[in-house]
Amino acid sequence: MMYQRQLRISHVGLRGIVGFGLEASHVLDFAAAFGTFLDSGPVIIGRDPRSSGVMMREGVIASLLATGHDVVDLGVVSTPIIQHAILRRDAAGGISIGASHNSAEWNALKFFAARGTYLSTGEASELLDIYHLRKFSFVDYTRLGKLKSAPEAVDRYLDDLAAAFDLASLRDFRVLVDCCNGTSSLILRRMQERFGLDFILINQQMEGVSFAHEPSINRKTVSLQLAPLMKPLRADAGFLFDIDSDRVAVAREDGEAVSEEIVLPMIADYLLPRGEGKLVITNLSTTALVDEVASWHGGKVVRVPVGRQAAMDALATYRAGQIAVAGEGTGAVMMPRFRFVYDGIASMLAILSLMKERGQRLSAITGGYPPFSILKDEVPLVSQRVPLMMMELKKQYADGIADMRDGLRISWPDRWFHVRVSQTEPVVRVICEQKGEPPAALFGALMDVVRSMA
Amino acid sequence: MREHRLKVGVSGIRGVVGEFLTPALACSYAQAFGTFAGKGRVVLGRDTRSSGEMLKHAVACGLLATGCEVVDVGIQPTPTIQIYIGATRARGGISVTASHNPPEYNALKLFNHEGLFFNHYERRELLDIFYESQFRTAANEEMRSVHCDHETPMNMHVGRILRHVDAARLKTRRFRVALDGVNGAGSALSCRFLEKDLGCDLRAISVDPTKPFPREAEPRPDTLGDLQELVRRERAEIGFGQDPDGDRLAVADEHGRVLDNDDVLALVVDATLSSMPGDVVVNLTTSSVIDDIALAHGRKCYRTPVGEANVVEMMQATRSVIGGEGSNGGVIFPAVQYCRDSYTGMAFLLDLMERTGKTISELAARLPRYYRRSGKVAFEHGRLGPLMQALEDSFPDALTDRTDGLKLVLPEAWIHVRVSNTEPLLRLAIEAKTEQRVEELYGSVRKLLG
Repeated sequence: MMYQRQLRISHVGLRGIVGFGLEASHVLDFAAAFGTFLDSGPVIIGRDPRSSGVMMREGVIASLLATGHDVVDLGVVSTPIIQHAILRRDAAGGISIGASHNSAEWNALKFFAARGTYLSTGEASELLDIYHLRKFSFVDYTRLGKLKSAPEAVDRYLDDLAAAFDLASLRDFRVLVDCCNGTSSLILRRMQERFGLDFILINQQMEGVSFAHEPSINRKTVSLQLAPLMKPLRADAGFLFDIDSDRVAVAREDGEAVSEEIVLPMIADYLLPRGEGKLVITNLSTTALVDEVASWHGGKVVRVPVGRQAAMDALATYRAGQIAVAGEGTGAVMMPRFRFVYDGIASMLAILSLMKERGQRLSAITGGYPPFSILKDEVPLVSQRVPLMMMELKKQYADGIADMRDGLRISWPDRWFHVRVSQTEPVVRVICEQKGEPPAALFGALMDVVRSMA
Repeated sequence: MREHRLKVGVSGIRGVVGEFLTPALACSYAQAFGTFAGKGRVVLGRDTRSSGEMLKHAVACGLLATGCEVVDVGIQPTPTIQIYIGATRARGGISVTASHNPPEYNALKLFNHEGLFFNHYERRELLDIFYESQFRTAANEEMRSVHCDHETPMNMHVGRILRHVDAARLKTRRFRVALDGVNGAGSALSCRFLEKDLGCDLRAISVDPTKPFPREAEPRPDTLGDLQELVRRERAEIGFGQDPDGDRLAVADEHGRVLDNDDVLALVVDATLSSMPGDVVVNLTTSSVIDDIALAHGRKCYRTPVGEANVVEMMQATRSVIGGEGSNGGVIFPAVQYCRDSYTGMAFLLDLMERTGKTISELAARLPRYYRRSGKVAFEHGRLGPLMQALEDSFPDALTDRTDGLKLVLPEAWIHVRVSNTEPLLRLAIEAKTEQRVEELYGSVRKLLG
């Protein structure tokens, strides 16, 4: 099979199609740059089940050992397990090898600091500078690192989860999970063994080459296999995980696929009343339902530009105690309890705990939220007229409140839109939401402008 | 003069690990190898050097990236890896080992699908691919994995040697044997082979592969003091000294004297030709004692340029039954594998002692006596031609051989001067029937070379 060449090197790390853009040399150089960037100490690594992960693992190990770091290889695990292990083992940092929600031919390296979170923008810039300079701190033969394994990593991670959630109380729920052939299956099977939770897993065989379906976390993929099985299997809740288990999407007991946008509001609904933290950190493109839910619990939504980096940088400007939850409309949510690790499994447990606490079914919880209708589309970026386009839109919709930190977001009391250039692809994304009925007229008018100027 | 801390060339890639021999370099060399070898199984092993693990992962990365499947045999002697490659019909193999170089060095040794060192054409082709850097790439669905097989290689190696010696009689004889394994890759195999398979009463030192090399890695009289002492203390009948990857062998007699490596080869050649008809191949710098022995058996002795690959190539072409590189301490016995193998050497010497009932010093004393001297001389680039010419002119009656540097064959003596493959040095070897003649020739050649 031939793929279009794809390689992306940015603040979020290295990502590409293996053999068609992403080569062994990128892996070695990036890992060597990371080994050079880090303070001394061990580095935790793990990978998702993609076949190319074996090759990437070998390169990552070689460069980390060569820069004098011991390497603790967790094998095939989820990204959150790697992040937990970094903190627990007091490591210098970590690397996750895996392309989470991308299709199987992709792979990526994600880098974590000693605190277990993604690098800040400043740290990521430093890493990129070292990568581009290619001046790596290789040590002499007496100081090379050693390779170790840590088979207990999954159990220690589950211990952390068990300390935060009353797992015994969740045994009554029958939970259907679409593992999409990723790492969630190994975690959930172990959780079932140790805590007696009632999981039914589909697509649970971890696969290196072909996944049962695209690992995208959205309502469409939930509707493929998970949602239709909910009623026949009499499941109380359904969850879909991406390959490295950092994102989650939800299906209701009545067979309805819930929008991935609802995950963050639901978790905010669960966490806001529980602690002193009252801030919900999310991006400019996330549903306004989160504002509504926050307002019920005296919480406040802080919006930041789209992308992982902006979220990480925003988190760093608050005390952990001030924050209730942070996340995106993509099903990626992180909690202060776990020191801000995007974690699909923890998100699932929070949603089940919410059901338990309220004594409500998922249909009742999500049905209780005011309806919001969201419309999204994208237009290929060909012109150089993006600033002009933004000014034009701002002028046309001058009656709303404008936010220009990331493209243009204009909001009114019951609706908003966001037009921005993607960081990952040459497209302009248009997203428009309204309480109640879909904002078809507004969306149509926006798309006309964007199509004519993008 | 520049310190030669990295060498990328036809004999592979070798350098000081860290700043010079980087994981990226090892990986791209492995990618070139994978591109050359084609999709399929490639055997990957290493010696005990501390940098071996790091480089092994870099090499595995490169091989996997080109779509090869990696068979990781762990820490193994080089000949063991070579035998396994041939026997398992792999596409080829890479051993991460710098043989007898100091511990800060490491290198990649490359083997073709028969488990042989790359010949001249294969090496050139590989180097072209390396410089072009257009490596074959595997997409996700073409990626293969890493498999481990640590036991089979040793068993195969031992099995092949035991076909050629009388192990039952050796076990009954129970030789007392001293061994210095230099904490090398062969440590485990050597102990098992000598004790279990050949039934020796083994007294071993430096057989812990997790420890650093306790001595200079090349086994020579001046590096084997510990072995000599061990032989005397334990009253051993023979002492064996290996290099870290188990291809070279040095031998001490029952008095603790380290034999000349050419004489060790001569004894093995003699033992082989006694039971197996065929010719002999050695390099140009190996002692004339081999010619004498071949002649005594009515067999030919072919000469090649220095280098294991050259000797092996000639052995294949002439279907010779035994060969080696005398001064480097290597025995090549194709019935086991076309490679230098210290284990074959050990087994044959013990077998010879058992069959003849003679001590190793008695056996060595029966060999025709030659006196040898070797040395190295640094030279300036550009001065090589005039030096060689001057040398040739000053021995006008000599037969000359220019296949590898310059060899001047005189009546009952010879002089061989060649450029080192690895350093900007001239290597000089002189042999004659009398000690006086050697000194005389050595003096005049040194004077000429400045």
